[in-house]
Amino acid sequence: MITAWTVVRFLHIIGAMLWVGGQLAVSLVVRPLAARSLDDKNRATMLTAVGKRFGVLTMAVFLPIQLITGTLLAWGAGVTWESLAEPGYGRILVAKLLLFCLVMAAASSHGIASSKGHPTLARVLALTSVFASVGVVLVAVVLGGA
Amino acid sequence: MPPVQIRIESHTRPPTLPRASWHSRANTVVLAWAALAVLALLFGEGLGLPRWLPVHLFLLGAVTNAIVTWTEHFSVALLRMAQPTARMQSVRLAVLNAGIAALIAGAVALSTTSGGVPVLGTALAGAAVVAGTVAWHTGWLVVRARSAMGGRFAHVTRWYTAAGLFLVVAAVPGAVMLFGSVSSRTHEQLIAAHAHAALLGWVGLAVIGTLFTLWPTLLRTRVAEGSEKTAHRTLLPAALGLAATVAGLAHGWRWAAVAGVLVYAAAFAAATAPLVRVALRRRPHTAASWTVLAAQVWFAVALVADAAVISLVPAHEVYTVLRPYVPVFLVGFTGQILLGSLTFLLPVVLGGGPERLIRNSGLVEKWWPARLAVLNTALLLTLLPGVAGTLAWVAVAASVLAFVVLAATAVIRSGHLPRPSATAMGATAGAAATALALMLALSGGGTSEGVEPTGRTRTVEVSLGAMTISPGTVSLDPGDSLVLEVVNNDSQPHDLRMGNGVQTPLLSPGEEAVLEVGVVTGPLEGWCTVMGHRAAGMTMNVVTTGDDVALADAGGTEAGGADAGGEEHGGHAAHGDTSGGIDPGGEWSEGWEPFEAALEPAPGGEVHEVEIVVTESESEVAPGVRQPVWTFGGTVPGPVLRGKLGDVFEITLVNDGTMGHSIDFHAGSLAPDEPMRTIAPGEELTYRFHADMAGAWLYHCSTMPMSHHLGNGMYGAVVVDPPDLPEVDREYLLVQGELYLGEPGGAEQVEKIAAAEPDAWVFNGSANGYGHAPLTAEVDERVRVWVVAAGPSSGTAFHIVGARFDTVYKEGNYLLRPEDPGGSQALDLAPAQGGFVETVFPEAGTYPFVDHDFRHAENGAHGYFEVEDR
Repeated sequence: MITAWTVVRFLHIIGAMLWVGGQLAVSLVVRPLAARSLDDKNRATMLTAVGKRFGVLTMAVFLPIQLITGTLLAWGAGVTWESLAEPGYGRILVAKLLLFCLVMAAASSHGIASSKGHPTLARVLALTSVFASVGVVLVAVVLGGA
Repeated sequence: MPPVQIRIESHTRPPTLPRASWHSRANTVVLAWAALAVLALLFGEGLGLPRWLPVHLFLLGAVTNAIVTWTEHFSVALLRMAQPTARMQSVRLAVLNAGIAALIAGAVALSTTSGGVPVLGTALAGAAVVAGTVAWHTGWLVVRARSAMGGRFAHVTRWYTAAGLFLVVAAVPGAVMLFGSVSSRTHEQLIAAHAHAALLGWVGLAVIGTLFTLWPTLLRTRVAEGSEKTAHRTLLPAALGLAATVAGLAHGWRWAAVAGVLVYAAAFAAATAPLVRVALRRRPHTAASWTVLAAQVWFAVALVADAAVISLVPAHEVYTVLRPYVPVFLVGFTGQILLGSLTFLLPVVLGGGPERLIRNSGLVEKWWPARLAVLNTALLLTLLPGVAGTLAWVAVAASVLAFVVLAATAVIRSGHLPRPSATAMGATAGAAATALALMLALSGGGTSEGVEPTGRTRTVEVSLGAMTISPGTVSLDPGDSLVLEVVNNDSQPHDLRMGNGVQTPLLSPGEEAVLEVGVVTGPLEGWCTVMGHRAAGMTMNVVTTGDDVALADAGGTEAGGADAGGEEHGGHAAHGDTSGGIDPGGEWSEGWEPFEAALEPAPGGEVHEVEIVVTESESEVAPGVRQPVWTFGGTVPGPVLRGKLGDVFEITLVNDGTMGHSIDFHAGSLAPDEPMRTIAPGEELTYRFHADMAGAWLYHCSTMPMSHHLGNGMYGAVVVDPPDLPEVDREYLLVQGELYLGEPGGAEQVEKIAAAEPDAWVFNGSANGYGHAPLTAEVDERVRVWVVAAGPSSGTAFHIVGARFDTVYKEGNYLLRPEDPGGSQALDLAPAQGGFVETVFPEAGTYPFVDHDFRHAENGAHGYFEVEDR
C-alpha cells in the first residue's frame, strides 16, 4: 500500500541513486570520453563545467532531499539520540552518517582542489568520494536488514 | 595525472644504486610497521584489538626489521665482509615479515576470537619463523665474520650474535604463554622473563653493539681509543648478567635476577665510557646525535628503575609493577634509537649524490629540536594519570608520526618506490573508510533475526580471579539485556571481553567496571584478553534458554569460584540422549581391571602425608565405553586414605588439570575459606586435618558447580577406624558414584547432571566392573564391606543377594553388632554418607551385590562376590 512513507523512502532512494550514479557516470563515462575526444584545453573546460554543475545540483537538490527524507525516516523508525549509541540499528545508522559526512567532505574538497589547480589531489578526492559513496549504499543495505 | 608527465619525471630521476634501493625497501618495511604501531595505539582499543598489539607491532615489526637490516649493514661495512646476495636479502626480508605477520595475526586472533588449533598453529608457526630467521641471520653473521678481515670491528658482530640469541631466548616463554596452560604465577614470571630477554637482550645488546661505531659516526668524529677493547670485555658480563636475570625471573629466583641485572647495568656503564669520551671531544650537534643521546639517557634510567623493582618485589609481581612503564621505555629508548639512526642513515642510503643527500637530510631533520623536545617532555608527562596522560601520549604520537611522514616523503621522493596512481590512492581511501564504517556498524553484535528485545535487564556480578571467571555460566532469556558488574579480585590485572566486541578496560587488582553487553540473542562467550589467560581458563559463557549448543570449552563452565553457586544452568528443554546408553553386560577391553576394592589396614604412624595430583584423563567406565574423567590421583574414586582415630592427615593437592579444582575432606573440621579454596592449574595447596572422629568419610572437589566435578569423578573416601575395630578376614571398600557420559561440561552432560539422570551408577568408578572381575571370599570368612555414597544426586541401599549383615556401622555409629539378635538386609546411605557392613558367606557360590534401588542396579551398580570353599 502506498503511504506518505513510501514517498519519503522513494525520494531518499532515488536521491542516493542519482548522486552515486552521477558520480560513477562522470568517472566511468564522461571523463574517459573527454580524454579521448577533446584537446587538453577543451577537456579541462568541460570537466570543470561538469564538476560545477554536479556540485550545484548536489547542494541545491540532492543534499536537502537526503537530509530531509533521512531525518524523517529516522524519526519514523523510532530512532532516538540514546538509541544511536546502541549496537544494532542505531550504531549502523551512525556509521552510515559518518561515512556520508566523509563523502561530503571529500566531494567539497575535490571542488576546492580542482579550482585551485591541484589536479592530482582533486583526482584522489574524487575517487575517495566515489568509493565511499558506494560504501554508504553498502552500509544502507546492512541497515535495511537490521 | 597524464602518463606523459610520469615519463618526463623518470628521465630526470638520478640513477640509484641497487644497494640504496635495497636499503630503502627494507626501511620502508620498518616505517610501515612503525605506522601500523601508531595506528594501533590510536585506534586499537576502540576496535577491540588487544592492548599488547602496538608494542608488538613496534618491536616485532619495526625494531626487529631494523635490527636485522642494520646489523647486517654495519657488519658488512665495518668488517669488510662480503655482501649478501640481493636474493638472500629479499628472501630473508620476505620470510621474516611473513613470520612476524603470522605471529601477530595469530596472537590477535587468539585473544579476540574463539581461537582454535589453526589460530594457535599460525601464531606458533610465525614465532618459529621469526626466531628461525633471526637465528639464520645471526649464524650468517658469525660465519662471515670468521672469514672476513675483521680486525678492530670484529666485536660488533659478537654483540649482534648475543642479541640474536636473546631473541630466540625470548621466543621460548612467549610460545609457552601462547599455549597458555600455565598458572597465573608462572605466567607473570614468564612474561617478565620474556620482556627482559627481548628488550634488554635482543634490542639492548644490538643497540649497544652498534653504538660503539654509530655514535662516533653520528658525531662525525673518530672512534675513541680503546673502544674495541671495552666492547670486547663488556659483552660477556652483559650477556651472562642478562641470562641470569631472565632465568631468575622465569623461575622466581629473585636474587639471581637482581645480581644479573646489576652485572648487566655495570657492563652497560663500562661500555658507555668510550662513548662519553667521544661525546666530550665532540659535543652532540645534530638531530641524530641528540635523539640517540636522549635514548641512552632513557636506557640508563630504565636500568636503574628495573634493578630497583626486581630487588623489591617477587618475580611474579615484577611485570605488574613495570607494565605501565614499558611503553615509555619503548618510545624513549627503542623508538628514539630508531628515530636517531634513521635520521642519519636514511639520507645516506637513499643516495643520489651530495645535493640530494643534503635535501633529504634537511627533510628528515625538519623541526627536529621541536620534535625532540615535544617527544621527551610529553613522554615524561604520560606518567600523569587521567586526561593529562592521554593528551601527552597524543603529543608523543604526533611527534613520531611527523617523523614517519617526513621519512616516508623522503623515501617516496627519492623514487625508489613506484608512486601509486591518484586513482589507486583515492580508491584505497574510499574503501578503507567504508571498511571502518562497516566495522563500526557491525560492532556490538546487533540484533539477530527473529529475536525481539524483551526490555528486561539482567545484572550479574562477575568476579575475575586467578585464571578463572565466576560465574562460569550466566543464563538468561533471549532478548534480555545483560549488564555485567565486573570486579578484579585477583592480584594481577585482567579484563573481560565478550564475543560481541564489548570489553572492559584493563582492571588493576580490586578495580571494578560495568560492562553493558546489550541485548543477548544467542550464546555468547567472554574471556580475559591478557595474553595466555584465555587459554589458561579465563572464560565464561552466556547462554540463552533453549540453546542446544555446547557450553564451549570445559574451562569456562567449570572454573568458577565459590560464588558461582547461584547461577542455574541454561535451558533444559530437551533431554539429549545421544550417548546411546551403556550395556552393563558388554565386554570390557582386553586387560582392563577395575579399581582395587580390597582395603589395606591403616598404615603406621600418626601423621599421614599424602600428595594428591588432580588430572584430567580418560578411562573405561563401562564395558567398551571410554569417557573423559576428572580425577584425584588418576583414578575414580581417588586414593583411599585410611588412618586410626586421632591421626593427622597432611594433604598436598596439586592441580595438574586445565581448570580450577579444590578438595573438601568431610573427615576434618576447619574453616573452609583457605584449605577448600579453588586453585588454578599449576598451583598447589596444603590441607591438614585431624581425624578425631571415626567413620567412612567422603572427600570431593568443591569447585562450583560441584555437581559437575563430582559427576565427572572427583571424589574419594577416607576411612577412620573406630576404636577397637575387630580384625576381619577380608575388607573391601566400595564408593558408589554416578556416570554422566558426554563431553565434561558440554551441554548434553550438563543437562543430564542438572536433571539427575545419570547414564549409569558405578561402584568404584566402573559400571558393573566387579561383574567382570568379582570380589573374592571363602566360606566362613568374615567379610567387611565399607560403602561410601558419593552421589552427586543419589544415595544407595547396599545389599548382598543371598547374604545378611550381622554388623552395620553407619555414620559413626554401630546400628547392629554380631551379638544382637536381629539382622540387616541393606545399608542405606544418603549422598555423602558412609559406613560398613559385615557378613559371613554360608557356602560357596556367586553372590551379587547391588544397590537395591534397581534402577541403579540394572544400570551399573552391580557386582559379584565369588565365594569358594576353604
